[in-house]
Amino acid sequence: MDFETLSGDLHKLKTRALAEIDQTTDPGALDQLEIQYLGKKGEITAVLRGIGALPAEDRPRFGALANDVGVAVKAALAERGVALRAAAQAERLGSEKVDVTLPGRSVPRGTLHAIPETIEAIAEVFGQFGFVVYEGPEVEDDLTNFQMLNIAPDHPARDLWDTLYVDIPGHLLRTHTSPGQIRVMRSTKPPIRALLPGRCFRYEAVDASHGFEFFQVEGLMVDEGTSMADLKGLLDEFAHALFGPRRTRFRPGYYPFTEPSVAFDVECIVCGGVGCPACSKSGWMTILGAGMVHPVVLQYGGIDPEKYQGFAFGMGVERISNLRHSVPDLRYYLENDLRFLEQFR
Amino acid sequence: MRVPLSWLRDYVDIQQTPEQLAERLTLLGMEVQGVDQWGSDWRNVVVGELLTVEKHPFADRLHITTVNVGSGETLHIVCGANNIAPGQRVPVALPGAVLPGDRRIERTEKMGIASEGMLCSGDELKITTDAEGILILPPATRLGVQLSDLYGDVVLDVDVKPNRGDALCLIGLAREVAAATGAVARWPEIVVAETGGPVAQRLKVEVREPELCTRFVGRWITGASIGPSPDTIQMRLQAAGMRPVSNVVDASNYVMLELGKPTHTFDGAAVHDGTIVVRLAQAGERLETLDHVERDLSPDTLIIADTRGPIGIAGVMGGAESEITGATTEIAIESAIFDPVSIRRTGHRYALRSEASLRFEKGQEFRLARLGADRVAQLTLAWAGGSVAAGRVDTATTEPTEARLAFRPRRISKLLGAEISTADQRALLRRVGVETEAAETGARIQVAVEPKPLVVDAGDEETFLAVVPTWRRDLAVEADVAEEVARVRGYETTPAHLPDTVMPAYRPSPLRARNMVRETLAGAGLSEVVTHALVSPMEQARLLWPADDSEPRLPASLAADLEDEIAVTNPLSAQHSVLRRNMAGSLLDVLSLNERQGRSDVAIFEVGKVYGRVQGQPREWVRLGFLLSGSAEPASWNRAARQFDLDDAKGLVELLCRRLGLPQPAYAPDGRGFPFHPGRALLARQEAGRETVVGRVAELHPDVLAEWDVRSQRVVAAEIAIAGLDVATPSSVHVEPIPRFPEAERDLAVIVDRECPAADVEAAIIRHGGGLLRTIRLFDLYRGAPLAASEKSLAYRLVFGAKDRTLTEGEVDEAVADVRRGLEGDLRARLRS
Ligand SMILES: [Zn+2]
Repeated sequence: MDFETLSGDLHKLKTRALAEIDQTTDPGALDQLEIQYLGKKGEITAVLRGIGALPAEDRPRFGALANDVGVAVKAALAERGVALRAAAQAERLGSEKVDVTLPGRSVPRGTLHAIPETIEAIAEVFGQFGFVVYEGPEVEDDLTNFQMLNIAPDHPARDLWDTLYVDIPGHLLRTHTSPGQIRVMRSTKPPIRALLPGRCFRYEAVDASHGFEFFQVEGLMVDEGTSMADLKGLLDEFAHALFGPRRTRFRPGYYPFTEPSVAFDVECIVCGGVGCPACSKSGWMTILGAGMVHPVVLQYGGIDPEKYQGFAFGMGVERISNLRHSVPDLRYYLENDLRFLEQFR
Repeated sequence: MRVPLSWLRDYVDIQQTPEQLAERLTLLGMEVQGVDQWGSDWRNVVVGELLTVEKHPFADRLHITTVNVGSGETLHIVCGANNIAPGQRVPVALPGAVLPGDRRIERTEKMGIASEGMLCSGDELKITTDAEGILILPPATRLGVQLSDLYGDVVLDVDVKPNRGDALCLIGLAREVAAATGAVARWPEIVVAETGGPVAQRLKVEVREPELCTRFVGRWITGASIGPSPDTIQMRLQAAGMRPVSNVVDASNYVMLELGKPTHTFDGAAVHDGTIVVRLAQAGERLETLDHVERDLSPDTLIIADTRGPIGIAGVMGGAESEITGATTEIAIESAIFDPVSIRRTGHRYALRSEASLRFEKGQEFRLARLGADRVAQLTLAWAGGSVAAGRVDTATTEPTEARLAFRPRRISKLLGAEISTADQRALLRRVGVETEAAETGARIQVAVEPKPLVVDAGDEETFLAVVPTWRRDLAVEADVAEEVARVRGYETTPAHLPDTVMPAYRPSPLRARNMVRETLAGAGLSEVVTHALVSPMEQARLLWPADDSEPRLPASLAADLEDEIAVTNPLSAQHSVLRRNMAGSLLDVLSLNERQGRSDVAIFEVGKVYGRVQGQPREWVRLGFLLSGSAEPASWNRAARQFDLDDAKGLVELLCRRLGLPQPAYAPDGRGFPFHPGRALLARQEAGRETVVGRVAELHPDVLAEWDVRSQRVVAAEIAIAGLDVATPSSVHVEPIPRFPEAERDLAVIVDRECPAADVEAAIIRHGGGLLRTIRLFDLYRGAPLAASEKSLAYRLVFGAKDRTLTEGEVDEAVADVRRGLEGDLRARLRS
């Protein structure tokens, strides 16, 4: 064997290998070609074995040449492999195209009811000012619902609370959350900052703005110097939190269990204060009643009115919700038509 | 109370516009709820002069008139009234006019004669009650003027609070206007021209119940003639919302609105022996009241009687027999002070509440008895003529002087949270008629009155005495003085200040656990509902949701017995007359309503209360109820529909337990049947002793669904008591260290009898699994070949591990062998590996 013959074979081998690699379309066939040419029993390997038959001076030259051929074939295999995989991936991806404009797979999501959500919103605001939540019974006794709140059995103000009575002597369905004031004062000592949400009942025919069951949130704060100015400060924060930066005002109200009593007005959220049917042209909307806890009530709560003073407020949850969510009819709340409920997503 | 401004101006000067006045009164605590234009429903009604009045040629009862309405042209109007004559001034509705009740007047033809408008009666205009004759206006009334300009008025609708009976009248509101504007309120001049003989010859009064009738003032008028009161008076009463009746009755009503003093006028001839007795009714006595209802009088009713029997229910309503009629000439006037509580009870007992009784209930200023009697006599004389007997019958002539109420200006500033100087406080009080004088040291301060009185010693603190006007019966304690200072100063000036005192102790919110439940269920696709607590007794009977002794009880949630329902004794309707014992009925109501609206997929929940009584006392428990009906996953382009079933409900219970950090519940079948599907109902609970969740989960019986007219064939409902929903019980997760050594898994297929509950298999595996068994999970349930028909196969994956080492194959094999032997022994199970 001489150098020329062997290198000629090598060259032909290289040409054939490169051509075959180039024509291959199957990644598996590339592996076969690698074995066929570069494997232990491969054709290029076999040519290399012939190096022993060459004169000693030709061997390095041939070795270098053979190495180059091996490198070239290897490179061609790798390059073709990359190309084939890229093509295969592109073809797969192409085949996986979907109509991305179709709707997604729906994840079930329910809704939360406006009444507990409004209670939560109210509790959140007052919670920031240290008010903690208590709850009183809905089947309340007459003493706590009325008499301890300075409403004697034949007090003319009883007309303000048409009452549903139950078949347990001395008991009724609470007409407001205010009896909770007595219960909180009796169960804890000042400083008191309490919030009492819950269901109330009245003997009242149902229409768009009345119901015999409704919800209130009562607030109570008692400490040595708690004043009407503290009440105003807190209620302003509350009104701003729920209704945005609006003007507010105090005006006199009347409750037997507060003295002085307050009605708390917020600039009409419909007209902004210029006057509209929603606010009876006054420009104001009353959102809650409040006042300084009456000394009689403090005493019934076991608190010395000479040492402590405090305020209480009470609001209708539906009223607050109506204003926040523009609910037109009170009956929506307890009727539970899903077309109403599902708007609170 | 409806307050015509033109009337109010009799007692106080008003410079403000009606809107300004309304705002000032509102800010003073007399809330003006409406500013109405009285007469705004007379459109195109003008003053005209009758030129001629002639008989209608074809109709006896009609007249043809010519009318000058000041515009130069003469109108021809056909009229049916008989009280008209040339020269009179009358209201003329021109063609195109609109009268109250939206009655439109057009050019018409009456019996062949054209009529260019209409002459109006007082009734047609709703300013007097006379429907027979045309309203004859004063002769000097200007022609062509719109009637609304002439008689139109602004009427304020004032909400007078129950404690301010003194302001439930024009004089009272004039005093409030004066306080608001600085004007001066004036009383009408009350002077009675007495031309008759001594009243004692006519009227004797005997009060047998001086506690219930603290003062009775009587007057007598002879020779009055009953007829309508003057048109202007009728207009005032109408504008104030009171229907004119006759001159004498109107005088009484006028005085009630003017002074706030209800009085009563009797036909003197019907007062037997001229003797009035104020006493309690006797058993068996009856009275026909003015509304012509014959009433049995109960013995605790305070009545006005003569020597023969009852002639009126005191302070509430007079008797029909002694009513003022057209034939009446002798008039007995009653102006009394009755006990407010007695009047209130009587009004309730007979379901008779009048404008008069409402005023008596709020309490009356003592001197009003005298002033009221005089004023009624004065007006009756003016409107009905006759002669007033000299003097009054008066059972309590001594009128009390003003009370003194001590107050500490510093205390008032502290309560209001605003520094108001003593001088300012005194000046503010003067504006509502409360004079002040310095008190001696050590004055007694009335902090609270009945029912829980408290009087303290002022010590050396600066103290003043408020001289309480006799009409202000509401000023009784120091805090009342504070309110007067605050309201005259203006509540709107209250400074805003955030509390900067010590915070209360931490208290976990009872809403927290409930909110976790709510959020979790909403996140799982359920919609929250809030339903009525009051339900129909039928609903409880139709459902019979079990709450008997077999139900395990949570410490905070005793299950009450069915007969322990709480019922409302005065329900609005039977539909809402008992407090609910369970929530499932309410949820079915919601399902039914939504199905009627065409919704078939309904998944709802409520966290609410159920009610019952324990040992006679009311009890309330917070419960979670949920209901699933229709599709859990509605059919979609990329997913087939899946209906809700019992497993969805159980999955929700398990999810909640995880969310609340509570142990998973075990399930026990409940085969009772109605109201449940006999094969698809269960009791969920934790093992005894650590019960934190107890509840029933069931597919409802088809008969229940039929009761509610529910279309859905399968409805799953659950009602669950969860510890922590009633009260806050903070729970926290305790973390186990992450296992440092690998765990070993083994699968076990357990073949048991088809009826053997899976819960029993699981319990047996846990029982025999030993300390190395960490978790088990059911991953397959199989019935069919090659198993016998009576068999099923449950496949579990068991995970074993130890904290301190990697388990050897041998250890795991041994544990599995123990489980295997246990299952074979306890359940006669076969095992496949
Ligand atoms: Zn508005």
